[in-house]
Amino acid sequence: MGALLQILSYGVFSGALYGLVALGLSLVFGVMNYLNVAHGALIMLASYTVLWVCYYLHFDPFLSLILVIPTFFVIGWILFMGLFQRLLALPETEKLKNSLLISFGILLICSNAATMLWTADERAVATSYTGKVIDLLGVRLPYIGLATVFLAIIVVFAVHLFLTRTYFGKAIRAVSQDYEAASWMGINTSRACLVSFAIGVALAGFPGVVIALQTFNPMVSFDLTNKALIVLILAGVGSLRGVLFGGLLLGVVEAASVFLVGVAYREVVGLVLFVLVLMFRPQGIGGRKA
Amino acid sequence: MLEVRDVDVTYGDIQALWGVSFSVRKGEMVALVGSNGAGKSTVLRTLSGVQKPRKGTITVEGTRSDTVDAHKVVELGVSLVPEGRRLFRDMTILENLELGGYIGRARKVKEEHLEWVFQMFPVLKQRISQLAGTLSGGEQQMLAIARALMSDPKLLLVDELSLGLAPIIVKNIYKTLREINKSRNVTILVVEQNVRLALEVADRAYVIENGRITMEGAGKELLASEAIKSAYLAIG
Repeated sequence: MGALLQILSYGVFSGALYGLVALGLSLVFGVMNYLNVAHGALIMLASYTVLWVCYYLHFDPFLSLILVIPTFFVIGWILFMGLFQRLLALPETEKLKNSLLISFGILLICSNAATMLWTADERAVATSYTGKVIDLLGVRLPYIGLATVFLAIIVVFAVHLFLTRTYFGKAIRAVSQDYEAASWMGINTSRACLVSFAIGVALAGFPGVVIALQTFNPMVSFDLTNKALIVLILAGVGSLRGVLFGGLLLGVVEAASVFLVGVAYREVVGLVLFVLVLMFRPQGIGGRKA
Repeated sequence: MLEVRDVDVTYGDIQALWGVSFSVRKGEMVALVGSNGAGKSTVLRTLSGVQKPRKGTITVEGTRSDTVDAHKVVELGVSLVPEGRRLFRDMTILENLELGGYIGRARKVKEEHLEWVFQMFPVLKQRISQLAGTLSGGEQQMLAIARALMSDPKLLLVDELSLGLAPIIVKNIYKTLREINKSRNVTILVVEQNVRLALEVADRAYVIENGRITMEGAGKELLASEAIKSAYLAIG
């Protein structure tokens, strides 16, 4: 029983991280049908940024978010203006394909440039609470894991409130459902896309902190994009509410598979889940039928 | 208040409108009628700003509307009830209405406008938090009109509202449009495939054929004309 709860807790911690990883990707995909596979690379860059802020300015990693989030908002803004804006006029399927090509290019460039500039060495931010655990009825709960779960819940809730309670958030949802009808409402649709893309990239900062507290290297980009895509499918495409749930599901299934069939099959189990969902419930677990 | 001068619209190599000119005066209810594919919806898409004319000008109360982005056209006081309603289906009735009143000056009078459209369409008030996609066809059309009115338009463009609705519902909605036109002094341009209905309800009408305006006149006059009778009303 104790072992089971322990495994479940690890699953929940990594699952919360997966939810955070997928959130920005899901937002951008839902609003403008761009599949930004560079999201993993942006998270990796955010982790390096957290590392530098902690090293040079002696910030706590979580405090570093006040600098990292605005920085990545600006990076998202520039990326959109420079590379993605011209795709807005294309038909839906072309948007998907072209954004996939462009962002795959960014993913390759970023991860290889990072390896050249900062080597492939494993990095990590060490804090006074790294490795500390709370012992709850024999189950060991690391501080950082608990913080990840809190962070995931707060961030998903904040994004949800933004999208449902503010005029601009509602405008973004309107654009995602019917951009032409949105423009008839007086919504500047290309601006709504620009801002949601920038927010999507800014959201890379949150998983960036959590990754920085574990060990990471430039090639983590691919693994993160991979996880984000699995969660996107589990959650249901464009369903933000499903992202946290999809992340948790993936985390728990992976943790259980480590216990039952060994760590070597962890990635396989995630991909099997991905294929099963595509076969039997292609709209995703939280998604509605189109 | 609306002046369309010599407008050409092309989709790629295909020309949809040829030198279309017409005007709508303040307070009028004007119909644009014609058969399927004549270019009626293209006219409204062009007026709403999502389609740009290749040639010609459109002015709304003296201001050019064909040179600005679609989202700016709303601020000039032009609001569209699109063909097929185009509601935000996964959002509630209230959210759809709020988005209708998205522009700055409409947000300030949101409560007042909500009260007005609910008084016109009481059924919407009862279902305020229901998703738009779950409404019946007639209710969706009412919501589409209410949403367009939330921006406080001077000119309301209505595209094919009779499509897929029972005749009795269409009649009621047209009655409501007439009331909006009279009591709030909203100028209305309707595009309609149902020629008889449109000519009965409108002050004036234009007939469009193959992308060109071919006839104009008072609704009653056109109803009585031989050309209209034989081409559209299957009489004579």
